[in-house]
Amino acid sequence: METPLSIKHPQPSKDRWIKILPTGLKSFLNETGGTARFAVRFFREAIFPPYEIKEVLRQAYDIGFRSLPLVSITAFIIGMVLTLQSRPTLLEFGAESLLPSMVGISLIREIGPVVTALICAGKIGSGIGAELGSMKVTEQIDAMEVSGTNPFKFIVVTRVISTTLTTPILIILGDAIALYGSFLAVNIKGAVSFTLFFKQVFESLEFSDLIPALIKTFFFGFAIGLIGCYKGYYSTKGTEGVGRSANSAVVIASLLVFIIDLIAVQITEFFGFL
Amino acid sequence: MISNQQNTSLPDPVIEIRSLQKSFGENLVLNDFNLSIKKGENVVVLGKSGCGKSVLIKCIIGLLDYDNGSIYVLGKQISDLNQHELDELRSRIGFVFQSSALYDSMTVRENLEFPLRRHGKHKTKKEINDLIAETLNNVGLFRAIDLMPSELSGGMRKRIGLARALILHPEIMLYDEPTTGLDPITAREIINLMLDVRKKYNTTSIIISHDMRCARLTADRLTVLMEGKNYVEGSYDKLKSIQDPNTHPFFE
Repeated sequence: METPLSIKHPQPSKDRWIKILPTGLKSFLNETGGTARFAVRFFREAIFPPYEIKEVLRQAYDIGFRSLPLVSITAFIIGMVLTLQSRPTLLEFGAESLLPSMVGISLIREIGPVVTALICAGKIGSGIGAELGSMKVTEQIDAMEVSGTNPFKFIVVTRVISTTLTTPILIILGDAIALYGSFLAVNIKGAVSFTLFFKQVFESLEFSDLIPALIKTFFFGFAIGLIGCYKGYYSTKGTEGVGRSANSAVVIASLLVFIIDLIAVQITEFFGFL
Repeated sequence: MISNQQNTSLPDPVIEIRSLQKSFGENLVLNDFNLSIKKGENVVVLGKSGCGKSVLIKCIIGLLDYDNGSIYVLGKQISDLNQHELDELRSRIGFVFQSSALYDSMTVRENLEFPLRRHGKHKTKKEINDLIAETLNNVGLFRAIDLMPSELSGGMRKRIGLARALILHPEIMLYDEPTTGLDPITAREIINLMLDVRKKYNTTSIIISHDMRCARLTADRLTVLMEGKNYVEGSYDKLKSIQDPNTHPFFE
């Protein structure tokens, strides 16, 4: 006869808690955990040699240079629209002369980086997600491994480094083009010289406006590259999976841009930049 | 090596697989699979789609980890090798992928250069160019040297995939469905190339296929993979003569 000590009571296990979680929450936690592990692996692989410098430069050209036309056009339009929309309001208060300063601060601190990062999330994030997904389903990643190459280092590390470095450059160029668009818009209904416009813009800006805005762009680039690679690298279910990878890379990267922006604002406030 | 301890009079098998087990979750794909291949031998692994044929050769080249058993390739147990040793061994094996797996972003020349550079075989630019030219001539596609994979037909892609696998003059060739999806004429060209490769480089090969013409023309021996095990093994004619409901449909 069994003693009471031998009676087996069902023990609460981690699995039991996981089982009672709603499916949506489970999948969110899975994705978050998977992305975090992917990021840790990225740093581990990026630190140790060999370094794929040539591939980083090739990707920087592919990712950065080819995104330039889209970023330029969007930035130009944003600069113009922001100026044209703000003008009537400032005119009501007799503050039309503040237009270059207002547009400059808005563009450089917030609108420029966020809008350009969103464009990059759409173009670069989806491109990387689809490319890696397609490489996965056509066994190109396996072929790389067979050829004595660490595919994570060659494909993922190079792309994440490239997006981290090129996104800030695209954002700076985008800001400059947006300001030029704003200058043209100001001159549609007024007459302000190029020198005067940009003098006003830069006089209103402080060092503390530029640095936090610049730092967060590196995080935008890192998030876009990392999510694109994560989604593509673990793409499944054939060509349907490739489309899904590209789509979710854009959605998650765009969402992360806003989250990073929110965190950046909080940190900036905490350190008294504002 | 295991075989040496057991029977010193036989030549060392180039590939020795013992009691191999591999599962994906609860799905047991390979269960007690055994195979021994001598130098210069061509073995065709037959089986229904999804029975684990591709899993088998991916285990052999270390793309997939196996659960139990052992795989010895050229005297080395795959699971005991570190990354550097595995890469070294892989440079002696050519793998022809089912989908050809050509790098879309690279030209044919760059595709062939890739394993040469990555396996650390230090060669001059001229040596690399000569080797690429020789390999492309062997598969009859030197004219495609500067084309992108998207500009190639299915048969051309297979031949370039074969050329990429051959560029390092491997001792072992692993073919994953080399003729699947090709028209009979192109399939015959690929089979002839496989036979040429064997003759020229004296390679040992495992050919995963369910194309019986390919099996008949290339195999010294066939093994039928069923429910994760070697169901039956022997020459093409022997297997054809067996009246077994599981193997006979392959030969109809």
